[in-house]
Amino acid sequence: MSQLLQIENLHAEVAGKEILKGLDLVVNAGEVHAIMGPNGAGKSTLSKVLAGAEDYVVTAGTIRYQGRDLAELSAEQRAAHGIFMGFQYPVEIPGVSNMMFLKAALNAQRKERGEPELDAGDFLAWVRHRVKQMKMDPAMLSRGVNQGFSGGEKKRNEILQMLVLEPRLMVLDETDSGLDIDALKIVADGINAMRSPERATILVTHYQRLLDHVQPDAVHVLAAGRIVKSGGPDLARELEEKGYGWLQQAA
Amino acid sequence: MTIHASYGEAFERFAAALPAAERAARAAAFDTFAQRGLPDDGIERWHYTNLQPFAAQPVQLAPAAAGTPDLSAWRLEDCDEHVWINGRALNAAAAPAPLPSLDAHAGLAGLHRAFATPGLQLTVPRDVRLDRPLHVLSVSDAREAGEMFHLAHRIRLERGAQALLIVQNLGLPGATRFSTQSLSIELAEGAQLTLVRVQDEARGTTHWLQTTAEVGHDARLDVVNVDLPYDESGDPIPGEATAAKASGGTLIRSDWRVKLAAPGAHAELSGLFGADGRVHLDNQYEIDHAAPHGTSRQWFRGLGFGPSRAILNGRVVVQRGAQKTDSEQRIANLMLAKGAEIDAKPELEIYADDVKCAHGASCGQLDDAAVFYLRSRGVPEAQARALLIYSFINDVLARVPHVALRLRLARRITARLGAGLDLSEATLSGAAA
Repeated sequence: MSQLLQIENLHAEVAGKEILKGLDLVVNAGEVHAIMGPNGAGKSTLSKVLAGAEDYVVTAGTIRYQGRDLAELSAEQRAAHGIFMGFQYPVEIPGVSNMMFLKAALNAQRKERGEPELDAGDFLAWVRHRVKQMKMDPAMLSRGVNQGFSGGEKKRNEILQMLVLEPRLMVLDETDSGLDIDALKIVADGINAMRSPERATILVTHYQRLLDHVQPDAVHVLAAGRIVKSGGPDLARELEEKGYGWLQQAA
Repeated sequence: MTIHASYGEAFERFAAALPAAERAARAAAFDTFAQRGLPDDGIERWHYTNLQPFAAQPVQLAPAAAGTPDLSAWRLEDCDEHVWINGRALNAAAAPAPLPSLDAHAGLAGLHRAFATPGLQLTVPRDVRLDRPLHVLSVSDAREAGEMFHLAHRIRLERGAQALLIVQNLGLPGATRFSTQSLSIELAEGAQLTLVRVQDEARGTTHWLQTTAEVGHDARLDVVNVDLPYDESGDPIPGEATAAKASGGTLIRSDWRVKLAAPGAHAELSGLFGADGRVHLDNQYEIDHAAPHGTSRQWFRGLGFGPSRAILNGRVVVQRGAQKTDSEQRIANLMLAKGAEIDAKPELEIYADDVKCAHGASCGQLDDAAVFYLRSRGVPEAQARALLIYSFINDVLARVPHVALRLRLARRITARLGAGLDLSEATLSGAAA
C-alpha cells in the first residue's frame, strides 16, 4: 500500500499562536482516516494547512504528499494535484453561479495538469450527473455559490464539488455538522462513492454518527496540537462513550 | 467669465442654420453661458470637478461624420436602433424639440441649450407597451481636437405606457472632444420606464449628462447606469489626482435628478462605476420626494481599479408633506489598487416627519476567506479575484433586464479584469441552467 500523505513533526501557527505542536500522521492510498478531538485541538488548523491557507504558517516539520514537499505548492496547485478540502463554513459568493464556479475550478485544474479543458456540453453532462447523485435540484446550478443555502445545503454542495473535481486526497472538515439524518446519508454516500484504492480521505469530525455511514480504517485523537491516540473504528465508539477527558490527561 | 472666442464663432455658424423662430431663445441661452461660464470647483456640487478650463480652450462644431462607422459590435439584435453621430440623427431627420431645462449649472445649461440638436423624441401613447427595446446609440467621432456637440433627448410615457430604453454613448477613438447630453423624462400616471445608460466614451472625452425625470402617480422609473470607462492606453499616471488637469484625460460628469412628483411614484436608481488610468468620473444623483407615499431605492457599486478618481454623491430630499416616504440607499465600494480614490457621499434632507429613510456606504477590499475558498478549488488567484469582483458588481449588473446586453457588459468587465473568465448565458446567475 503506497503512502499518499506523510506528516512529520508538524508545527503550525496562526496569528502568532502555535496550534499544531509536533503532529505525525501517515495516510495510505485507499484509506479513510477519522480525526476526532476536543474543540481547539487543531483539527481545523490541520485541514487549512493541508489546503494551503496562507494565514496558517508551518514553523517546523514536513508534509509530503505523493512523495512531494507540499510547501512547494500554492493552494490552487494543491487542488490541481488532487487535494480537496471540504469547508466547515463554506463561503457564499452571490451572483457567481455554481455552474460558473465549477467550470472555472475544473478547467483551471485541468489546465494546470496539462489536460484539455472540457467543452460546454461535456461539462454540463459531467456536472448534471453528479447533481443527481447528490439529490440536488439542477436549478441550483444557476444560483449563486452557496447563496441563501441552508447549512445542510452548503455541506451537500461541498460534496458535489468534490464529486465534480475528483480529488485524490479529501480532507473534510466537519462536513457532518449541521446535517439532518437524510442529508447525512446523502453526504456519506457521496464520500463512499469516491472511495477507491488510489484515493484517501481524512474526516475531521466530532461525532460517531458519520462513521456509522463511512467506515474508517483508522481513528486518531488530536489534542493540544498532536495526535495522542490512534486506533481502529472501535476507538471512535469508545470516545463517544467516554469523551476526551481521559485522553487529554494522558497527553 | 472669459470664454474662448471660438465658442462665439461656433455659435454664429450654428445659429445661422437655425429657423428664425428658434434664434432668440438660443441666443439668450448662449448669453447665459457667456456670462456664467462653466462650473468650477468653488461650487459645492462641483467640488471635485472643474470644467472651467474647458471654457478657455478652443472648440469647433463637430462636422457630420465622413462615413458611417461600423457599429456591428455594438448592435443589439432585438432592439429598435436609433443612431446619432456627432449629434446628428443617422436614420432620419429628428423633429425640432423644446429646449430642456437643466439645473446642474446655469452656464453649462446655457451652453447645452444654445447648441442642442434634437436626439430621441419619444412619446409612448396611453397604455401602449413597446414590445421591442429602444437602443439609442450616440456616437462621437472626433477627427480634430476640441470638436463638440450637444444632444437633447426627450421621453414621454403617457398614462400606463411601458418601455425599455438603452442609451449608449459610444466614443470612437480619435481626438479630444467635448459633448453634453440631456435626457428629459416624463412619466404619466402608472407609466413604467426602464432606462439603461451605458457610458463608453473614448479617451480624451469631456462629457456632461443631465437626466431630469418627473415620475407621476404610481409610475415607476428604473435606471441602471453603467459607467465603466477604461483608458485603453492602460498607463496609469501615478500621483495624478484629477484627470481633468491632464491633457488627453477623460472626464465624465453626470447629474441625475429624479422627482417623485405624485403619490405612489417609485424610482429605483442603480449604478456601477469604476475608473482607471486618466479617467475622472463624477456621478451626482438626486431623488426628490415631492409627494406622499413615494418609494425610492438606490444601489451603487464602485470599483477603484487604479490611480483614478470617482465621485458619487447620492442625495435624497423629502419635501414637507411627502409623508410615508420610503427610501433606501446603499453604496458599496471595492478598492482594488493603490492610488484609487472614490469619494462617496450619501446626503439626506428631510422636511417631513413620518418617513423611512435608510442609507449606508461602505468601502472595502476583497474578502481573503472567499479568495482562499476559490483557490482551494484550483482557481488561480487572479481569476479568484476576478470572480469575486464579478460577484460584487453583479448586484447591479443583474438589474440590466436585457440579457444579451448584460452578458456583453459582464464579458467586458471580466475581460478588463484580465483573468479569462468564461461567461456564457448559461453561467450567468439567474439564467436557466
